[in-house]
Amino acid sequence: MLEKEQFDVIGKRFDIKNIGKVTGEEIYSCDVNIPRQLYAVVLRSPYPHAEIKKIDYTEAEKMGAICIGPDDVPDTLYNERIVSIPDKTYRDRIVLPKDKVRHVGEAIAACAAETEEEAFAALKKIKVEWGKKWKPLVALDDTMDPNAPAIYDQVYLGEKKVEIKNNLACERNIDVGDIEQGFKEADIIVDETFNIKRIYHMQLETKSAVCKPEANGGITLWTTTQGIHNVRILLGHIFDIPLSKVNVKRITLGGSFGSSIQMNSITPICVALALKARRPVKLVTSREGDMYDHSSYPLKTRLKVGVKKDGTLTAAHCQVWVEIGGHNIQAYPYLGCVAGWFASLYKWKNIKYEGKAFYSNKAPSCARRGYGSPQINFPVENTMDILSEKLGIDPVHFRLQNYVGRGDEFWGQGPTVRSIIRSCGVEEMLVKGAELISWDKRGKPDEKSGVIRKGIGVARGFHTSGTGGPHPGEVIDYSGATVKINEDGSADVITALMDHGCGTWDAGAKVVAEVLKIPFEKISIDNGVDTRTTVFDVNTHATRGVYCGCGAIKFVAEKVKEILLNYAATLFEDRPENLDLALNQELGQGVIYPKGLPENCKTIGEIAEHAHTTSWGTIAYTSTLRQKNCPPCFITYFTEVEVDTRTGEITVPRVVMLGDSGTIINPELWKGQILGAYALGLGVGKLESIPYDKITGKLKCNGFITDFKVPTTIDMPDIDNIIVDHAHTYEPTGPFGAKGIGEAALSAVASSFGNAVYNAVGIRFHELPITPEIMFKALQEKRNRREN
Amino acid sequence: MQTDSKILAQEFEYLAPKTLDEALDLLEKYKDKNIKILAGGTDLLVKMKTINLKVNYLMNVKNISELNFVDTEQGLRIGAATPLSHIIKEEKVKVKYSALYEGIMSMAAPAIRNMGTMAGNLGNSSPAADTVPPLIAYGAELKLQSKRGEHTVLVEDLITGVGKTIMKPNELITEIIIPEINKNTGSAFLKKSRVKADLSKINLAIYLEREGNICKDCKIVFGSVAIKVLRAEKTEELLKGQIINSELINKVAEEVSSEIKPIDDIRSTAEYRMAMSKQMLKDGLELAWARAKD
Amino acid sequence: MKKIPIEFSINGQKREALVNPNDLLINIIRDELYLTGTKYGCGIGECGACTVFLDNEPVLSCLTLAAAVDGKEITTIEGLANGNELHPMQIAFLKNAAVQCGFCTPGMILTAVALLKENPSPTEEEIKDYMRGNICRCTGYVQIVKAIKACAEGGKSEPI
Repeated sequence: MLEKEQFDVIGKRFDIKNIGKVTGEEIYSCDVNIPRQLYAVVLRSPYPHAEIKKIDYTEAEKMGAICIGPDDVPDTLYNERIVSIPDKTYRDRIVLPKDKVRHVGEAIAACAAETEEEAFAALKKIKVEWGKKWKPLVALDDTMDPNAPAIYDQVYLGEKKVEIKNNLACERNIDVGDIEQGFKEADIIVDETFNIKRIYHMQLETKSAVCKPEANGGITLWTTTQGIHNVRILLGHIFDIPLSKVNVKRITLGGSFGSSIQMNSITPICVALALKARRPVKLVTSREGDMYDHSSYPLKTRLKVGVKKDGTLTAAHCQVWVEIGGHNIQAYPYLGCVAGWFASLYKWKNIKYEGKAFYSNKAPSCARRGYGSPQINFPVENTMDILSEKLGIDPVHFRLQNYVGRGDEFWGQGPTVRSIIRSCGVEEMLVKGAELISWDKRGKPDEKSGVIRKGIGVARGFHTSGTGGPHPGEVIDYSGATVKINEDGSADVITALMDHGCGTWDAGAKVVAEVLKIPFEKISIDNGVDTRTTVFDVNTHATRGVYCGCGAIKFVAEKVKEILLNYAATLFEDRPENLDLALNQELGQGVIYPKGLPENCKTIGEIAEHAHTTSWGTIAYTSTLRQKNCPPCFITYFTEVEVDTRTGEITVPRVVMLGDSGTIINPELWKGQILGAYALGLGVGKLESIPYDKITGKLKCNGFITDFKVPTTIDMPDIDNIIVDHAHTYEPTGPFGAKGIGEAALSAVASSFGNAVYNAVGIRFHELPITPEIMFKALQEKRNRREN
Repeated sequence: MQTDSKILAQEFEYLAPKTLDEALDLLEKYKDKNIKILAGGTDLLVKMKTINLKVNYLMNVKNISELNFVDTEQGLRIGAATPLSHIIKEEKVKVKYSALYEGIMSMAAPAIRNMGTMAGNLGNSSPAADTVPPLIAYGAELKLQSKRGEHTVLVEDLITGVGKTIMKPNELITEIIIPEINKNTGSAFLKKSRVKADLSKINLAIYLEREGNICKDCKIVFGSVAIKVLRAEKTEELLKGQIINSELINKVAEEVSSEIKPIDDIRSTAEYRMAMSKQMLKDGLELAWARAKD
Repeated sequence: MKKIPIEFSINGQKREALVNPNDLLINIIRDELYLTGTKYGCGIGECGACTVFLDNEPVLSCLTLAAAVDGKEITTIEGLANGNELHPMQIAFLKNAAVQCGFCTPGMILTAVALLKENPSPTEEEIKDYMRGNICRCTGYVQIVKAIKACAEGGKSEPI
């Protein structure tokens, strides 16, 4: 393991590249303004499942608005997320539906005008003639009802037509070993059902797009996306424009948490308006529209686990059901990933996994930070606590006994991507965390008394760093960059890799700085790049920004180093392997010198200038890289809760957070990822839900966040009561030993919260959020049961 | 009905009188033409955006200096257009009118309190309003003025239902008058909400006047438990003239559930509100009682 | 609708405009003046992303009529720095990693600056309470609170 001190830049704090964000100069998609632009608004369905007969735009167009409807857009059938290979991608969406709408809030038409007020006034004049209407399928049980109205008759999987029966969108079944035998060997069997509901990402920037039609028939686009090439390829395909004429700009993103892995539904609508109007069009979704655009995947889980008296797990039968909304964005890989997150948490020995996804009349679900990991972690980590209680084994020891760790095979991204874990800090984190929180003093639920009950719960999770594997599989995963040294010795890093605030760009610049010994401040990884100037990058998702994205950047930087040393070798009249490259703090530059003679150095700037003035050429390299591993980054939370038994209110006074990311490239941003995830997880645990009305199919909150409450400053513990620490590991396959953290960080928060609640009051909740109303009622019922 | 919260989609005429007389003239002129008063806008504009509340004439009263004052000489006289944040800056409010101070501090966040006004909170007349229970507990009155004259009403008599008041279309709240507070009185405001910056699931203002160990007078006012803010008069009667001790407080807390009629809604449940009303009454009485000693 | 002439100053600069009664301040700032630091997050006053100073007090521009700022002074995030000298709060946010995606940041910084004006040495509880109307989904707030504390304990202006 390399010590931090060996690095010049990696692991060190610098003032990060966020100055524009504190001065208001940072431009996001919703801030882009193009001269002569029109403002667009989207007409959204008021019905959950209804036939569209006719749309009349006459009144709207009389007001001077440009309108588009299903007849004005291509009817290409696509899936807005093209991260999976075509053969494994379900397609059920067209830009604007021709036949019927499948959820309240689905886009049916759109208008653009000189001002948004005018566009909206015109929008209200669009007349829709509706045909047959069906009652909405809102609850999971409704979607599984064999007599339920069919949301789809058929869709496509790759090029194959697939009939949809009983609204079953897709399913996935995986068997490992023999669970029947495994259960026979068990001394204790636990069989519990859990339910994680839909959450809304509530990313601060609503989905936006600005599209400029170009004179050559192409388009330039700024949009909220985690992957500019994903958007480019789709738009070129849908609108039949060669990709060389479709240019998607890389632009700062106001948070995402997975909601822009796919091209957002408003993006092709914006493009269609721009092409029709032959003027730039700007479309910024309202918050209420955004809430109908996407939400997370829910998950109902029935988990049956067998264990021997000595604590060895013998079998696990995991059944999951999910309703996915009106469109299948990524339900099939979701089912595979859920299986992977489940299978790779503990050594179950024998596994049966059955996953089913059903269409429903709700906003389409899409990945949300963890992509099923938080959803399945809750049942698993609760079950581990239930088992340890029955066994009389300490929950931390029970986990230590059974976790999948170093040297074990794991398949976090699904059954087709298997690899061996090389770096693992699970044990270190469990042991250290237990000590830091005073785990031994936590007591048992029935030992507790008083109005305020304290409890401590543990939970651990992980996420893969990207989706790489020994062979290319179901998921496309590669990134690239151009790195060039400028004529003054500064460097440009040109990459499509997106940063949604997690510090990816900071890491990329640091990696280049470390390889080339160019000072961090002289490395630009800034915006001003686009699909035209960058090679492919699949997306910043799946916690791949550092491991895959910066892994590719490092690979390219190493090639640039080779070129640099070769130029230098010619100048020094020596061989490149006889030269050294180092950062010279005094000169504020990287320098190259003959080994043994550091005083005879030339700065990188001098070498670059020489290469320029002698017309040698630019010291640059472009390439892409596919990682062949996706090493797990791990997380462990020890959460302390306080339950006020008089009011049911739960607070979190103390928490210990531990992460394993191998080498940590930017410690403060790394901490920030974990702290941020903790707040999100608390929201899942005690606050957030977006219920739908069973009769109207509308969101009960109507899309307004007045009634979608998220954690605020007050919900987090005090600074002094939060400990964030890291395991001391090094991932040999990662750039400078680094792995990711972003999604691992969210996986186990709600689980640790739920386990802590159990430790406090002896009640285990199988559904979230645990609101004061729910806690209060459960406490009452417990009291009543005791009295009877 | 589709909405677009990025804009204010309605068309209306905007009026910005600089004096009270001007304002009353305009109210008289447009009283039958759907004129609404704009103070902070934090309720009105939200309603216009989210439920398409129709307004033909919008009259901004925030520029009328006659309506922006806090006079602490005798009790409290507060101008209708005084921002909530300015009211709580007054030392007298913080020290002597604890329930009002706590009620305002429980509202949303600083920016909203810089914009919002007490008259706006009253005029909006939501059962969840946070200034209303304290004002009723203090026996506050408000002055209503129109071109035809002026009169004073008890805050308690202002609101008749959800979003409904006794105000006539040509009337303007100009002043809120809170009586001077006696010695040996204590007050408290309690609230339950999903997050601290939220509207109330249930809120409660208590005012107690104490003579030795006896409760000389009290007001108990609940919000979010009925179609309008409610005085728990039966519960008050159980306390008046009695020696206050924990036994009585417990007994009274049980009785209060017969007076309130909470419902299930998106914020909470009837069952929870009922249960919390008892807790809060206990806590509030103890707190107000202790404060009355000082 | 009758258009309304207004005069105001924004970030120290005097401006005139002719606005519709239903024009919102947030849209005038963003779409007419091209000061895009102020953000639309929810439109109904719940998230704080649209915070600006009106006569030196934080207000929500998504619920403020443009017409209502006639004769007033507005400060947006763009007006906080002193030329090239960042405001101590901006420095504190950068130095304490209180910025991730950055969308909530302008509203956070302005609200925090207002806090310190009112209460130069707030406790952690006071900071959290004052900032409770500003939503962030990325940072979990801890580093933001740290930044505000650090600024209160002696931040200075610094050049970029």
